[in-house]
Amino acid sequence: MSQEHVFYRSKTFNRKKIFIMFLAVFFVLMFLIGRLVYLMVFCSEYYGQKAENLHERERDIKAARGRIIDATGTVLATNKSVCTISVIHSQIEEPEKVIDALVKELGLSEDEVRARVEKVSSIERVKTNVDKEVGDRIRAYGLAGVKVDEDYKRYYPYESMASSVLGFTGADNQGILGLEVKYDSYLQGTNGQILTLTDARGIEIENAGETRMEPINGYDLCISMDVNIQQYCEQAAEKAYLKKQADSVSIIVINPQNGELMAMVNYPEFNLNEPFTLTDEMLSGVEDASALNAEQKQDLLNQMWRNQCISDTYEPGSTFKIITASAALEEGVVSLTDQFYCPGYKMVEDRRIRCAKTSGHGAETFETGIMNSCNPVFIELGERLGVDNYYKYFNQFGLLEKTHIDLPGEAATIMHKKENVGPVELATISFGQSFQITPIQLVTTVSSIINGGTRITPHFGVEIRDEKGNLVEKLKYDTTEGICSEETSETMQYLLEKVVSEGGGKNAKIEGYSIGGKTATSQTLPRSEHRYISSFLGFAPADDPQVLVLAIIRNPQGTYYGGMIAAPVVKEIMENILPYLDKS
Amino acid sequence: MARGQEKEKKQKPIRYFDYSLLFLIIFLLCFGLIMLYSTSSYYGSTRFGDAAYYLKKQLFATSLGIVAMIIVSRIPYRFWMNLSGAAYLAALGLCTFVIFGGREVKGQARWIYIGPLSFQPSEFAKLAVIIFLALIIYKTSKQVGEFKTLVKVMLIVLPIVGVVAYNNLSTAIIILGIAVCMLFVASPKYSHFFVVGLVVLVVGVVFIALASYRAERIQIWLHPEEHEKGYQTLQGLYAIGSGGLFGKGLGESMQKLGFIPEAQNDMIFSVICEELGLFGAVCLILLYLLMIWRFMVIANNAADLYGALIVVGIMAHISIQVVLNIAVVTNTIPNTGISLPFISYGGTSILFLLSEMGLALSVSRGITFEVT
Repeated sequence: MSQEHVFYRSKTFNRKKIFIMFLAVFFVLMFLIGRLVYLMVFCSEYYGQKAENLHERERDIKAARGRIIDATGTVLATNKSVCTISVIHSQIEEPEKVIDALVKELGLSEDEVRARVEKVSSIERVKTNVDKEVGDRIRAYGLAGVKVDEDYKRYYPYESMASSVLGFTGADNQGILGLEVKYDSYLQGTNGQILTLTDARGIEIENAGETRMEPINGYDLCISMDVNIQQYCEQAAEKAYLKKQADSVSIIVINPQNGELMAMVNYPEFNLNEPFTLTDEMLSGVEDASALNAEQKQDLLNQMWRNQCISDTYEPGSTFKIITASAALEEGVVSLTDQFYCPGYKMVEDRRIRCAKTSGHGAETFETGIMNSCNPVFIELGERLGVDNYYKYFNQFGLLEKTHIDLPGEAATIMHKKENVGPVELATISFGQSFQITPIQLVTTVSSIINGGTRITPHFGVEIRDEKGNLVEKLKYDTTEGICSEETSETMQYLLEKVVSEGGGKNAKIEGYSIGGKTATSQTLPRSEHRYISSFLGFAPADDPQVLVLAIIRNPQGTYYGGMIAAPVVKEIMENILPYLDKS
Repeated sequence: MARGQEKEKKQKPIRYFDYSLLFLIIFLLCFGLIMLYSTSSYYGSTRFGDAAYYLKKQLFATSLGIVAMIIVSRIPYRFWMNLSGAAYLAALGLCTFVIFGGREVKGQARWIYIGPLSFQPSEFAKLAVIIFLALIIYKTSKQVGEFKTLVKVMLIVLPIVGVVAYNNLSTAIIILGIAVCMLFVASPKYSHFFVVGLVVLVVGVVFIALASYRAERIQIWLHPEEHEKGYQTLQGLYAIGSGGLFGKGLGESMQKLGFIPEAQNDMIFSVICEELGLFGAVCLILLYLLMIWRFMVIANNAADLYGALIVVGIMAHISIQVVLNIAVVTNTIPNTGISLPFISYGGTSILFLLSEMGLALSVSRGITFEVT
């Protein structure tokens, strides 16, 4: 053996070849290490990210939407805890028990539930918006594979109150209408997130160190609306709506000093908790509600959601005489004692423009002219002003711009182009016809004239507070001072008080209060249909206005004069809210 | 030479035993078991409700293997000369039997069941081929330089390669590779092997071109993202890539949680990369290299050609499997099922690997040093 041993050891080529083999393996392994370096250093981010995407499941934690709180601290919009019930097919152990329990608790048909439970999918939603108590009961069964997720749902305690003002939110917690849209960025908050890791079957890994980003709840919005005033107004609107079988009734209550809106009614309102259900009023003209196609239904919904106070324009009629009178006073083309004569009409070029009183008011001063709401007097004022001056004051009063109210969907004023205004147009404008403005524009402009001449921005939003009630932001609005002189303002207060105490607005008179106001009766286009809009604008106290109310009744049946039907509505509101405001 | 002989007669030769190799084996075994547990606990608990299911089975096989290794290492390796022919025939017989009588797992019959124990004859075949070829080449070592002898030897292994290839092509390739390596070392020539290499290349290309499913594998290899069957490869790459420099830490792999199918088998290296990072993976490769280097040392110093050839066979076996496994996992070559020695799950594999280690240790015992 030793002989052979020595003989063998001399065979160096064996050694050499074994060494070559080793070298080959060595280089191949080095190459593979190089490949690993490439994969694990240079491709690490790419593959690592891909792997992470594969493992991670995101789950949103909804942020609670901020509340909407009125001036009295009453919550008008809040959140309700609701549950979403889902089933996870792969985790269900006792399908029959699950079906029984869900049928019993959710009030769904067995077939419906069975279809969900037996469907092979990663997660199947059975029912959403389930009350929290029901969700808790289902959770108490402790059934494997049944998932109860809590969620927030927007909830409006007063249901239909101020519906088109408050607005509502969609399924994604986003504002769709009204203040919910305008202040969405404050109310919404930031959703949180749970990032969890799952295995290949989609089961979450325990103790995997889930990353949790806490949600930031939305801020509360404090508005100037007063729930009591709003409710008074709604009742008054409803009464007028029913009594006059009107198409709709709008009421705006504003503080003319600072532009804070206390109420805004568009009767009939709709239920904010079920914003996609058409109201009976909307369906009254529809023969078969179930036959509506999606487009028709959407049209009706849009109509129902419409905030007529800010989105609809109308011919203001005689209430606009306030603006004509203010312009004339400001320009100095008229004084209270100026004499006028009304034969019941006034000729403008070749046209005979009639006064409301066809027999004529006879001789009258400017003061009695406004109390009588005499058209020829105001045509005269228009003529004295001239188109250029008249338009100068429109601009100065802010009438031609939007009011920039903090609600979406404001319509602009529809006014003649200055160069198209001839004597006839000038005459009709001067008593409030042949052009259109929104109710909120009228309210804002009149407020600005009677408050001493400061153009205000009408608004609901006052403050933004966090969930603990700490002030986050005080909302600021533009004001323009000196749109008319103090003197003009005081004169207008005096004149409008006269209108109520002795003139056409006497139906709004309340014992013990000095009230200013102006009636209006305007006809809608086309004139041949004889459809009217009667309105009354009133404010109190007349010498230091703290509250201004505009009531608009659209298409009333029977008597349609503003002084007859709209003034009592304002009176009723004033009777209720003036003592209330005095107290507070 | 004569003087050396005299000295050897005078002095008692120093007994040698390759402890380095033994430590490498023990280290790799322990490391393997830890990684196997880490990798397989998810499948163990989801399929069998026991996180240690695979670990227990592997531990059992490893214990058997260690006993076998100790026994084999104590038996002088020349003892196997007489048995190698029988072993070869037995392997041939078992591999043939498995085609007809084996139990099918995933469409391929590779296992023979004896009671609760399963046995994969192709693993035994590798060992049998090593000791049998070592004997054949040893006996014909004078003529091994002739091309005729080469062909003759190759013809001897061809039946078993064919039988194994019937349902386990990867193992057949390994057996063929082992045979070629042993002949390469034994032969003083190089030219023959260039010819053989060329032939293998041509045959390989034709082979791939003929079978469409193999061509598909090539496509998967080139663009694993675009093929549904590239799923395993891609998941392996995700695991490797997400490991980065130092890995996510032991037990922290995400990809083992059902994303990599059967991660404890052929794809275990990707989980090692994910958990231990580039650092861990390179350390493991260096450990294998160290082990292969030890085989080279033992083969170079073996007492006779027979012992040297056995160790060369083992060296070839380990090298081929390590290289091919890592190459597959890193998508360097098209996917084929080859396990990572000492680490991948597989009872038969670990049993015979350890027996081979016993043989290598036995050869190392035969080494004597001349003390001058």
